[in-house]
Amino acid sequence: MANYEPPVTDYDKIVENCTCAFCGCNCDDLDYLVKNDHVVGVRHACRLGASKIMEDMDQRLLVPMVRNNEGELEEVDWETALNKAAELIAGAQRPIFYGWSETSIETMHHGLELGELVGAVLDNQATICHGPSLQAVQNVGYPVMTLGEVKNRADMCLYTGSNAMNSHPRHMARYTTFPRGYFRPRGRFDRTIVTLDPKYSDTAKMSDIWVGFEQNGDYEFYNAIRAVLKGKKLKKDLISGIPKEDVEELAESMKNVQFGALFFGLGLTHTLSKQRNIDIAIQMVADLNKYTKWVLMPMRGHYNVNGFNIFMAFETGFPYGVDFARGYQRYMNGETNTIDLLTRKECDVFMVIAADPGAHYPGGAVKHLAEIPVIQVDIHWGPSTEIADVVLPGSFIGVEAAGTSYRMDGVPIYMKKAVDKPETCRDDEWIIKELLERVKNIKAEQGALASK
Amino acid sequence: MEYILKNGIVYDPANKVAGEKKDVMFRDGKIVEMVADDAKVIDVTDKIVMPAGIDPHAHVAGPKLVVGRLYRPEDSRKGITNKTAVTRSESGFSIPSCPATGYRYSRMGYGTVVEAAVPPLEAKHTHEEINAIPNIDITPLALFGNNWFVLQYAKQGKIEELAAFVSAWLKLVKCYGVKIVNPCGSEAWGWGMNVHGLDDPAPYWDVTGREVVTALAKANEMLGMPHSIHVHPNDLGHPGNYPTTVETMEAIKGIEKNSPIRDQTMHLTHAQFHAYGGTSWRDAESGADPIIDYVNKNDHITIDVGQVTLDETTTMTADAPMEFDLHQLSGLKWANKDIELETAAGIVPVIYSGKAPVNSLQWAIGLELFLKVNDPWKVCLTTDHPNAGPFIRYPRIISWLMSNERRQEMMDNREVHPWSHKRTSLATLDREYDFNEIATITRAAPAKIYGFQDRGALTPGYNADIAVFDLNPNDIDPSRNPAAIEKAFGSAMYTIKDGEILVKDGEVVKIKQSHTLWTNVKGMEEEEKAVMKQVMPDFTRYYTVKFENYKVFDKFVPNPTVSEVQAGK
Amino acid sequence: MLSLKTITFNQKKTSSISLEFDELIPDEIYNWEKEDFDKYMVPIGNSRFPLTDYFDIEIEGSAENAGEVKMILNGDYGRVKYIGTKMGAGEIIVNGDADLHAGSQMTGGSLLVNGNAESYAGREMEGGSLTIMGNTREFCGCSYIGDWRGMNGGTITIHGNAGKQLGECLSGGTIIVKGDCDILAGIHMTKGFIQIDGDVTRWPGGQMKNGDILINGELGRLLEGFTQEDIVTNPEIEGKTFSGKYIKYVGDIALNGKGRLWLEAEKNRHLLY
Repeated sequence: MANYEPPVTDYDKIVENCTCAFCGCNCDDLDYLVKNDHVVGVRHACRLGASKIMEDMDQRLLVPMVRNNEGELEEVDWETALNKAAELIAGAQRPIFYGWSETSIETMHHGLELGELVGAVLDNQATICHGPSLQAVQNVGYPVMTLGEVKNRADMCLYTGSNAMNSHPRHMARYTTFPRGYFRPRGRFDRTIVTLDPKYSDTAKMSDIWVGFEQNGDYEFYNAIRAVLKGKKLKKDLISGIPKEDVEELAESMKNVQFGALFFGLGLTHTLSKQRNIDIAIQMVADLNKYTKWVLMPMRGHYNVNGFNIFMAFETGFPYGVDFARGYQRYMNGETNTIDLLTRKECDVFMVIAADPGAHYPGGAVKHLAEIPVIQVDIHWGPSTEIADVVLPGSFIGVEAAGTSYRMDGVPIYMKKAVDKPETCRDDEWIIKELLERVKNIKAEQGALASK
Repeated sequence: MEYILKNGIVYDPANKVAGEKKDVMFRDGKIVEMVADDAKVIDVTDKIVMPAGIDPHAHVAGPKLVVGRLYRPEDSRKGITNKTAVTRSESGFSIPSCPATGYRYSRMGYGTVVEAAVPPLEAKHTHEEINAIPNIDITPLALFGNNWFVLQYAKQGKIEELAAFVSAWLKLVKCYGVKIVNPCGSEAWGWGMNVHGLDDPAPYWDVTGREVVTALAKANEMLGMPHSIHVHPNDLGHPGNYPTTVETMEAIKGIEKNSPIRDQTMHLTHAQFHAYGGTSWRDAESGADPIIDYVNKNDHITIDVGQVTLDETTTMTADAPMEFDLHQLSGLKWANKDIELETAAGIVPVIYSGKAPVNSLQWAIGLELFLKVNDPWKVCLTTDHPNAGPFIRYPRIISWLMSNERRQEMMDNREVHPWSHKRTSLATLDREYDFNEIATITRAAPAKIYGFQDRGALTPGYNADIAVFDLNPNDIDPSRNPAAIEKAFGSAMYTIKDGEILVKDGEVVKIKQSHTLWTNVKGMEEEEKAVMKQVMPDFTRYYTVKFENYKVFDKFVPNPTVSEVQAGK
Repeated sequence: MLSLKTITFNQKKTSSISLEFDELIPDEIYNWEKEDFDKYMVPIGNSRFPLTDYFDIEIEGSAENAGEVKMILNGDYGRVKYIGTKMGAGEIIVNGDADLHAGSQMTGGSLLVNGNAESYAGREMEGGSLTIMGNTREFCGCSYIGDWRGMNGGTITIHGNAGKQLGECLSGGTIIVKGDCDILAGIHMTKGFIQIDGDVTRWPGGQMKNGDILINGELGRLLEGFTQEDIVTNPEIEGKTFSGKYIKYVGDIALNGKGRLWLEAEKNRHLLY
């Protein structure tokens, strides 16, 4: 009983049906227990979502800061910080506005307008995460569904290259495996869970079938399943380390379900064949649809990473890595993406909003970031703060500010506001809008000067 | 600010004006009968003046648009333009970006477009896109034909409850009317299946398309909705599907219409795709005649054509099983989205080529429908954008309708395959549309069909939504000059929306926020409460969002134009 | 072909932000004289700068059309993108490495890179010849992402090694690699010919529908999607005869593919069934 914590009973009110701002499941059934305008407890969230809310004031960015000549971040007022950031952006030749996946669509509107104005590259976490998934989608298609379809119909859920129990803890609990669906009234007992993962992950531990094929063997493995579906007898004894009989049995069982759902994550996007792993998995799902019903879903990792891709697609026609340098949008993986622009040392001003490149980028990219001006809009200290030159403290969407987000399956949710933000912080939307206005003024002045 | 469009040649079918030289006056965004002498004069001497265009069926805003754009960067890359002082950069050919959609319709003199298919769970997304599309008003239709609650009400014959459900749901998702796509078929697709014909029951729910369409038609009239039910019948795209189409139209024949404006109790959409004879793609032929006969003889039906334009385009529809079939045929990349409890959608690129026999047949069938339906008030110009072709081709279709010579030339030159005349009656049809009929099928008829009382005509008090085209009807023979017709209709001399000049000489000169048209049914408050109580337990159990978060909040509809309807009246 | 006008670019300054040379192809500049180059502002990021800040331009002779132009680029073009993009005629010689998109969307003429080429060299090529003396990175001779129709004409010759996804979505034309090749060459191919003289790591021809891939070196891993058909001596492919014995595979079965994979029999005995 040593770890038992009694339930929180000292609160003024409950704000119900709030939306979690973490993993991409965007669970919208969170209840925040609020006292004195602080969240003192949360119900229904998993460990990840709960920790973000409950630990929010740990290393919270509370004041605008600018790095001084001694290299230290010092507190300044909002005017100074915003003006400095606007100057940097207005004067940039190859600016990148990166992040966006943990802020609202409303904020993105202003960011896009700013990017179009100055000819920037707009990019988000997909560029280091599910970008290959989107590339594969662009190559071969996108047979997806909303999560409720899985809850109500699926009798097989297959997780591949994804450890949902760790990355999206309520994915199986609220959406795919455990819930009692309309056609699956016994929940877990009406479904078969399969994990395809080189390691025996937590998700594998609670699956009915675990196929531990060898690392980097994904493409060959899916190619073999497709060959089996076409009636080929496999020649090799081992396909990516798995006996051919097991491959044939798996293919057969996938054909014989009523409704299968395949979920995939970075195990596919980031191993050897990258986007081709997803490419072939998508074609495999399309193949299976000749026999029975199959769908798939990329396990998007932030609550609004899909939102940014959707927003950019309807505004510009491209999902991420959109370059406005020549006055119109261009999209070319390897050229207009953040990591390439950083490792090639092309970017000269970098704005990061609601993301942590310091923590997540490859070393070569971070090295360049340390050499150029970086503007950070965020709510927490992190490795990115260590390399930022201007820091603008934002607000917590879904808790302190309302905002629209899109779940991993594209369902739009308007995340409500439950408490007020700290007085010294500002709404993300306001910050980006201020930058936009200031840059417009600078450009107008430059234009007036130029015409003299 | 007062304006007078002087000396134009006006085509305003709703007011029975067919090529009269007449002034059109407007003030404060509305058409007026008189203006003062110091009104600003816009000289449009001898130019064609019409109400701004109304597109009664297109797919321009919503989740499947984004999937289409996202998964077709090669389409987005076409049609890229540089930003200008007024417009943002555009992208896309068959699936334009939201800004491009607004600009391109506006350049063609259009003012209102119907977004034909909104999945209620993702309606907020549709509204976000509507807000990103400038210069045109948008009228979203919500999908009901495969909704679990609707299926149950239809099965049980509970029409009053169904009406209350529809009324309540339209308020929740801020949509204008009832859309039905492949009733029961997209639900069957939840299991990878489809239904065949109007009487094939959906698996498990055991209800047929006939029951669903009939129930929704009754509910729609019970509510007195401004638009009738809008139906995409079963069996789209299958050779030999015309009997299903005729049966669908016949199924609701006895139902009494409850609207002072429209005549129809069913609008049957993209009829071309539902007008095939034969038994397979080898012996396929036109099945248009039975449909044409039916429409000519019955006043409770209106149609829009869904004309094939012979382009590479993208098909996208809530008829998800059909899309999978198309993918199997062509092998091109397939996207799909199933939406819990509600509907499904599919997307596949398609290349309609004049060299291909089937595509040429489809092209000809569309033209047959236009040319043989006698009353232009019953047939509207669409391409089911982007399914049969992108909307920027409307001017080209107009040029075909006005020029028999051009049609014959295309068949004689083998710009289209011989199936176009060997398997249809097109070669024998020499009817040519005149400007008045064009104005009818692109403006006046859609307005009437939708029950609009503020647009589609140059009636005083209506919106000053006006288009001027650089054509002198007394000077040009459309039959001989299809290229000039296409050019002029593609590039309006003026597009005026709510009294503001948005386009001049084919260039966008001003940006305006769009309005969203939706229907608010009054007088059903008690019934709606009762239905919501009925529906709530299943909603809570089977959806994956909370009901509180489901609705479209007001902030997503910043510029509503609300059609207030008194139920039953 | 006698070229009558030689335009030499002598680099005097480099830039960490890539220059974009898509407007400087023979088709566009065949009638440019010194004043035109002096006026020209080259795109670099979101701005444009005078070309002559970065290059001294020498012009010799005159030309009536693009076919009579020879462009010589001296210096380091590792940060000059889009060299030869959409060119239809004429000759470009790069005496150094070339940045992304070299020779992309070419319809004719010739581009020679006396160095390495970055990714996307020869993307969506329709005609002409592209020769790279060094190595290429990824996606040489590929399509624009999303388009299932890729390079459909012309010839790419790589004297060094080729990176991943060579000839992706190949729809026609020929790609020859003298050196080694990385994974997934010819993925999604529907037509055309890829010849690799060196070794190949894994999985050529994945999801292929048609076309030919011939490997003279050793292949590391073969996909189950390919079915062994025969051992063929001196096969003839696209009018060329390849002397020796080749194991012929057909695939990718997942797409009912009729594509042909030719593996030199001696080196690839380990893959024989």
